[in-house]
Amino acid sequence: MQTIMPDKTRLKRWRINLFIFLSVLGPGIITATVDNDAGGIYTYSVAGAHFGYSLLWSLVPITIALVVVQEMVARMGVVTGKGLADLIREEYGFRLTFVLMGILLLANLGNTISEFAGLASGMSVFGVSRFIAIPLGAALVWILVVKATYGVVEKVFLLACFFYVSYLISGFMAHPDWERAAIETAQPNLQLSADYLYILIGLVGTTIAPWMQFYLQSAVVEKGIKLKNYSYSRWDVILGCIITAIVAFFIVIACAATIFDSGPRLIQDAADAALALEPMAGRAAAALFAFGLCNASLFSACILPLATAYCICEGLGFESGINKRPHEAPTFYALYTGLIVLGALAVLILKESMQVPIILLSQVANGILLPFILIFMLRLCNREDLMGHYRNTKTFNVIAWSTCITMIVLTLLLLISTIFPKYMP
Amino acid sequence: MQSISVLVQTDDIDYYGFCGFIREKKGRHPMIYFTELENLPAFDAKGEYLGRLVDLAINPSQSPLLVDTYIVKTPRKQLLAIAHKQISSISVRAAQTSVPAAELPLSTPDEGLIRIKKDVLDQQIIDVNDQKVVRVIDVDFDIQPNEKHTDLRIVAVNVGAAAAVRRLLQGWLQKHRIRRVTSMLPTKTIPWEFVNLIEPDAARRVKLRISYNQLAKLHPADLADILEELSRDEQRSVIEALDDETAAEAMSEIPARMQVALLNSLSAGRAADIIEEMAPDEAADVLQELPPETSAEVLANMEAEEADEVRELLGFEENTAGGLMTTDFIVAEESATVEAAIEALKNFSGSPELIHSVYLIGTNLILTGVVPLARLLVAEKDSPLRELSSDPIISVPFHADEKAVIATFHKYNLLTLPVLDDDDRLLGVVTADDALDLVVKGK
Repeated sequence: MQTIMPDKTRLKRWRINLFIFLSVLGPGIITATVDNDAGGIYTYSVAGAHFGYSLLWSLVPITIALVVVQEMVARMGVVTGKGLADLIREEYGFRLTFVLMGILLLANLGNTISEFAGLASGMSVFGVSRFIAIPLGAALVWILVVKATYGVVEKVFLLACFFYVSYLISGFMAHPDWERAAIETAQPNLQLSADYLYILIGLVGTTIAPWMQFYLQSAVVEKGIKLKNYSYSRWDVILGCIITAIVAFFIVIACAATIFDSGPRLIQDAADAALALEPMAGRAAAALFAFGLCNASLFSACILPLATAYCICEGLGFESGINKRPHEAPTFYALYTGLIVLGALAVLILKESMQVPIILLSQVANGILLPFILIFMLRLCNREDLMGHYRNTKTFNVIAWSTCITMIVLTLLLLISTIFPKYMP
Repeated sequence: MQSISVLVQTDDIDYYGFCGFIREKKGRHPMIYFTELENLPAFDAKGEYLGRLVDLAINPSQSPLLVDTYIVKTPRKQLLAIAHKQISSISVRAAQTSVPAAELPLSTPDEGLIRIKKDVLDQQIIDVNDQKVVRVIDVDFDIQPNEKHTDLRIVAVNVGAAAAVRRLLQGWLQKHRIRRVTSMLPTKTIPWEFVNLIEPDAARRVKLRISYNQLAKLHPADLADILEELSRDEQRSVIEALDDETAAEAMSEIPARMQVALLNSLSAGRAADIIEEMAPDEAADVLQELPPETSAEVLANMEAEEADEVRELLGFEENTAGGLMTTDFIVAEESATVEAAIEALKNFSGSPELIHSVYLIGTNLILTGVVPLARLLVAEKDSPLRELSSDPIISVPFHADEKAVIATFHKYNLLTLPVLDDDDRLLGVVTADDALDLVVKGK
């Protein structure tokens, strides 16, 4: 009897743990998945197409940096029960919050445009005109969030997360050189050419974006995760970051095995990468790649405007939430609808030469925003009255500050290269 | 009409006649905003520069409205505390004290003071009049000159567009220009008496004399809307301060996920007290959402009778009539009279929506009749209940699914629906409000 007892309790404990983990599962994984949006897929494709396997190693430090940053945000959400915009408003006042939210709006308008552009180019691989794909996509996104019930939305989102598997499959179909991929991932290989650095910085910039920090913290708060269960939430974040890295890894190797090894390495957008896969990896791989792009674009076009509207309303004190009616939360609905409509219209009406400056501007806005957000986060995370026992430890602070300073330097470099492209290849 | 036009006039004087000092208006004290007071230069009795005003503090144990202490930051970064009796004048230009700098004490942190900048500005407050949670943008004060000194009295918090623009322009434009610009924008103020500060720390709440009494008077559904806007610690502080019954009513109206988080942050004893006050079906729903250990702990803390009722309900599957029903209902023997039924009604302690009908049971608890309340009222006292029963009896088996329950309510226009076991014994009752919840959730 006595020998059986401990086993039974262990089994029971294990079951409870799994139950808790599944109930807190979500915010970290969803945030990390949205991170692999149209812009991200393009950057990964370019990295693979231009430099083959040689940038793979960077995914490891990027993932660690992502975990460090996201973990702090999730921890703040669980401990304070407040969103990041709330905390910034309470700590740094109205004016600064207003300015930050303005920049965030600008940045995310640009991001939304690039999501719809991603959807248009992904659908073009299947021969669907953007004049059909974009209005349909925008309507679908709007209706899903505003009209569907929470349960339906959650299921659709989980399904969208699952569809990222298509990148894994197309990665396998490209028959990459696994041995080389493994070696290049484990072995840092920093090349000092300007071109290489530019894409490296782009990889960092596309992976750690300001809006994610706001979204993750609000989502953690919304989910009502208890302090007691914080360790599960940390696993959710870590798992999410690893999934991001895996998807990125497969996109890079798919492009490395096909475009880098054979063809002309010029790709204009992510759909070009899909088409370039075709001769080497087959029609199915190309279709899967393009399908993944459409899925990622639609999913991000859903979350980004929503996260932006939530965050701005939270910071500036407007009523927000999809459980409210439009007349109860007019600013919230105006922001959400406005971002989708403007994003879709920009892709439909504006010529590509007009879209580019807007997207560049949004990258600049992101670049300006990130250092502020990171520094505020670190300062808030060290506040004893706010975080109590859960504030950063000294060791963690060393890691966090060095990560953030590296991030800030790289972002500023990206910013400079965006504003003055002449000095970059 | 008269009063409106007068109001516009006085406002005009305020905006356009404004030339450095705020003029006193007829019967009203001149108003000044916190954005205008912040960073105001302060001078001592000899006219020497002391520093800048950084915060104002109210001492609720002295006076709920009066600014008690003015906190001034000197050029050497020291914080001075100036008592309100030492302020001889204050305007948008400067604050003047009536004592020399040497006599002013350093400011020490005091938990018993409400600091406007630290505790009010940019924080969430509850507007008990509009039943909303809002974030404070600016604070309005009255200037009240007395014989020997000048006082500031807090009037309202400001949340409108005008206040937002004032915050944005503060320090960048001259104060009268800012007033002119913002005069064109809509303002929204919440009088201080309707402002309920939120302080999660119970000890400090007592010191600051913050009570949630006004919240207890709100409709539970409105109170629930307010709770939803607050962070978890703030929610807990409000629930802790409410009586069990109000807390239970409000808790029944908030989303399940929030209920769970909130109950988890309370002690098991208090959670049990609150759940006891809920209708058994709602209590069962809440307990079902809690992790098994917590749920068992709460049940152990509940009164035996209530706990048994809830336990019984927990045995039914969630999306069936059994999972939806409550065990709070009124039964009478089928041979009983109207008088006995009315007596039973008087002694019923469940919620009022459950007394729409009296259920008649025969041998072995088999449901034999349903008497609507309206018929009881018009019938003779000694008539047997059996004769008043609606015919036929509409009921569902406990394993009927949600859709069947909703369809039955819809088809027969019911307010309550009895739930039976396989032997036609009465187990419980589903009420129309729960059916409506299902319809809304599954829209």
